[in-house]
Amino acid sequence: MTVLLETRSVTQRFSGLVANSDVSISVGRGEIVGLIGPNGAGKSTLFNLIAGVYRPSEGSIWFDGEDITRLPAAERCRRGIGRTFQVVKSFETMSVIDNVIVGALVRTTHMRDARRKAHEVLGFTGLAARADVPASDLVPAEKRRLEVARALATSPKLLLLDEVLTGLTPAEAQTGVELVRRVRETGVTVLMVEHVMEIVMPLVDRAIVLDLGKVLVEGKPSDVVRNPKVITAYLGDRHAVSA
Amino acid sequence: MDQLFVQRRRRELLLAACLASVATIVPLFVKDVYVQNIMILTLMYAALSQSWNILSGYCGQISLGHALYFGLGAYTTALLFTKFGVLPWFGMVAGGVISAAIAMALGYPCFRLRGHYFVIATIVIAEIALLLFQNWDYAGAALGIDIPVRRDSWLTFQFARSKLPYFYFALALAAVAWFVTWWLEDSKWGYWWRAVKDNPDAAESLGVVVFNSKMGAAAVSAFLVAVGGGFYAQFVSYIDPESVMGFQFSLLMALPAVLGGIGTLWGPMLGAVILIPLTELTRSFIGGSGRGVDLIVYGTLIVLISLARPQGLVGLFSRAKKAVAR
Repeated sequence: MTVLLETRSVTQRFSGLVANSDVSISVGRGEIVGLIGPNGAGKSTLFNLIAGVYRPSEGSIWFDGEDITRLPAAERCRRGIGRTFQVVKSFETMSVIDNVIVGALVRTTHMRDARRKAHEVLGFTGLAARADVPASDLVPAEKRRLEVARALATSPKLLLLDEVLTGLTPAEAQTGVELVRRVRETGVTVLMVEHVMEIVMPLVDRAIVLDLGKVLVEGKPSDVVRNPKVITAYLGDRHAVSA
Repeated sequence: MDQLFVQRRRRELLLAACLASVATIVPLFVKDVYVQNIMILTLMYAALSQSWNILSGYCGQISLGHALYFGLGAYTTALLFTKFGVLPWFGMVAGGVISAAIAMALGYPCFRLRGHYFVIATIVIAEIALLLFQNWDYAGAALGIDIPVRRDSWLTFQFARSKLPYFYFALALAAVAWFVTWWLEDSKWGYWWRAVKDNPDAAESLGVVVFNSKMGAAAVSAFLVAVGGGFYAQFVSYIDPESVMGFQFSLLMALPAVLGGIGTLWGPMLGAVILIPLTELTRSFIGGSGRGVDLIVYGTLIVLISLARPQGLVGLFSRAKKAVAR
């Protein structure tokens, strides 16, 4: 399996606070990788470094064989990185289809092609019936799906999902899990940040656990959940002993 | 679904063509010069507001300094005409190009500002420009420029006897501004602008180069407003800094769009058709002593609109349509 995304010794400091320290991870083509960890572990920071919101204080980020450390977010999208936002950022005054068309326009300037692509993605994500509704009318679960649809419309090689399954009802979360599986079947690599372990573990091929800004453990989900270090990070020392 | 969308776009174009055709024959029946004057101003402000709407409505960068581009258009046209004998047609284009260039030069630092800070910057910059023009001797300083009236001619765009040519030019300008908006609405730029307005971070993540989008909107908007300024200079044949670059022009470009529906295709037109005749009429009824009454009228309208229909009057139509659909 060839490497699609790699962070090399990435460190990110915010005026004294070290959010990520010497983080080196890699994501292979076609994988679903879960980035997990307790609150404040530095998941969101790493996610935003990969998406291009921040430039790392040290280290570099490589995508598809190229150094993208200094590239702005829009250029990363053009190279094939799509993302969603933890706090949904729909274009509220625009219709659902128009939201998705914005994403599709990164690959084409022809409106007809962009519109066709948007319809296709809405069908894929199960939002086809809501195409002409204003984005502001969607219920929270639908807004999450719109985030995914918009990112998919950019035809990404790598899809970054920021807590898209958190806060959903079990049924909604299950639909989401199936959607992510189908996304991978179309050849898109997925890196997903999740706070809640039980949702992601059955879904991902590999899990990377961050704690206090560093990579704590990485490996198969079944191994990771049994690792004492992980249990300590999530629950404290007492539970690690009993495990 | 696509079929419906294409149909809606065609219907809008058809409606615009019908309205323009009706407007074309109106002055053949309305011979009163005073009323014609109001119609010319209404069309001019409709065009200006439509242009303002591109940057401030669609792209969401609220400018209260568009008087700067209006004044630049007026001054470029008047200076080129009086000092170098350049025909106003070229003057208007030159004014448009200069304004677009200045809009981008100003956008370079200003588009880093967000929200209220950007609005304040636009006001301040236009006021600075006003002061500069008031002290620029070559351009007549505070006295302004008197454009010598020659024979009536389409070449010099001067007509002492009839107002009809001005009417048709203003109509054409409004039609062009509308059409440009209509055309851009279903283009990459139109989508990018609305995305930038709604959420710049999300837009950036979808490959939208936010800064360039704002620059593009500013250039198109400033160009069209400057052409309007050039037209105004020929229409009134006398300009001074206060009468083409004063703050009231910035307001008069923003208000019709706000009243009619900001960031909508028909909002500025609808707003101008209501607001401008109302202003002119109150002004003439109350006379010279009533200076400021028109501003009271604006204020009242804006308060009513923001209470009753924050999306502008255009929203009334779509609500009526929805009710029918149900």
